[in-house]
Amino acid sequence: MTALAAQVEALLFLAPEPVTVEELADALQTGEEAVRDALEDLAGALEGRGVVLREVAGGWALASHPDAEEAARRLLARPRTSALTAAQAETLAIVGYLQPVSRPEVARIRGVASESATAALVERGLIEESGRSQFGAVLYRTTPLFLKLFGLRSLDDLPDPAQWDPSPEDESALRDRLLRAGEQRAG
Amino acid sequence: MATVAHRLELDLDVFAGPFDLLLSLVLREELDLLEVELAEIVLAYVDHLEAEGELDLEAATEFLVLIAALLELKSRLMLPGEELPDDLDALAPAEAAEELLERLLQYARFRGAGGWMAAAHAAGQAYLHRSAPLPPGLRRVSVEVAERAYDPDVLGAAVGSLLRTPPPLDLRHIAAPRVSVAERLALLRSLLARGRFSFDEAVEGADRVTEAVTLFALLELYKRGEAAWEQAEPFGPITVHA
Repeated sequence: MTALAAQVEALLFLAPEPVTVEELADALQTGEEAVRDALEDLAGALEGRGVVLREVAGGWALASHPDAEEAARRLLARPRTSALTAAQAETLAIVGYLQPVSRPEVARIRGVASESATAALVERGLIEESGRSQFGAVLYRTTPLFLKLFGLRSLDDLPDPAQWDPSPEDESALRDRLLRAGEQRAG
Repeated sequence: MATVAHRLELDLDVFAGPFDLLLSLVLREELDLLEVELAEIVLAYVDHLEAEGELDLEAATEFLVLIAALLELKSRLMLPGEELPDDLDALAPAEAAEELLERLLQYARFRGAGGWMAAAHAAGQAYLHRSAPLPPGLRRVSVEVAERAYDPDVLGAAVGSLLRTPPPLDLRHIAAPRVSVAERLALLRSLLARGRFSFDEAVEGADRVTEAVTLFALLELYKRGEAAWEQAEPFGPITVHA
């Protein structure tokens, strides 16, 4: 491992939040290209170690290896946070992809009021308010903590949502049934 | 048609919203939207609750919200358009179906994305990040070099006015209640213990407020089934008895 990579390791060890390449270059008084090389070097050197290098929320951070999770949670007395409920997961998906988005819009898409799911996500620190819509409704967006916890470099890392659209067969089956229902009613 | 829900063997706990349930229902084979018997779903859910043995209030509430939204959706579909001439929802059946289809398709996308979110959230928990704050010496801005945003005098004045004890409020204009319902209840009960008594007896020599409170206490006794009363004519004597 190069001396620069070792210094990058030291800085990331100290940093409580992900550090951008720019911040690292600034602190190390070197170029961003050199920092990127050093990060790659560091990632290689950390193979098989208890600490992993992660690119999350627009920066770089050290985290414990998944193998150490159980023991680490015991040491820190920090149990896993409870899994997202289906309502929370859907709401988070809508905010994640459509942000900034208002609660009425979330409710329209989900077909059910989403107050408690939204409040729970705010409580978990995954989404936050970001101004108001032209109609005065509070708008929500995801937080940097969301990216960090979900292991995402940026929102661009979210998978293409089109993959979850129903298949053309399912879609035409849906249309057929809905239309048939409509015709029965009209007839 | 009446056995739809039984045939579906719904696990209702897993549905996140009406669209979720609807989508699952409509996507199953041989099922038209209007053939979905909501009553059957409710029955299935009640059975499900009974099998659980314990009422999870939160889950039950969510189900109520879900089924209510579903009912609204279905009734909109079923109502003939001409009865709602001014309503935006008064679309032709085909249009209504098309609109619903669009919303279901949009919902399906986010249901899938929600599944991804839940999985990513679980997977992300495998990594723990350092959560301790930086030692003070390494913070980017230490107290020594912090720039001051306010004149110390302004802050001093702000804190100073908070430290001063405000003068006690003058409460003399508020009359203290001199009679309580509990007191009058005790009196009425002791009178009742002797058998019948007249209301005049209970409020003998008392002021108007006491009279009012006593009447209130009497109503309370009546509500609890401890006393009843008779009054032969308006403004006549009131006889209270157990």
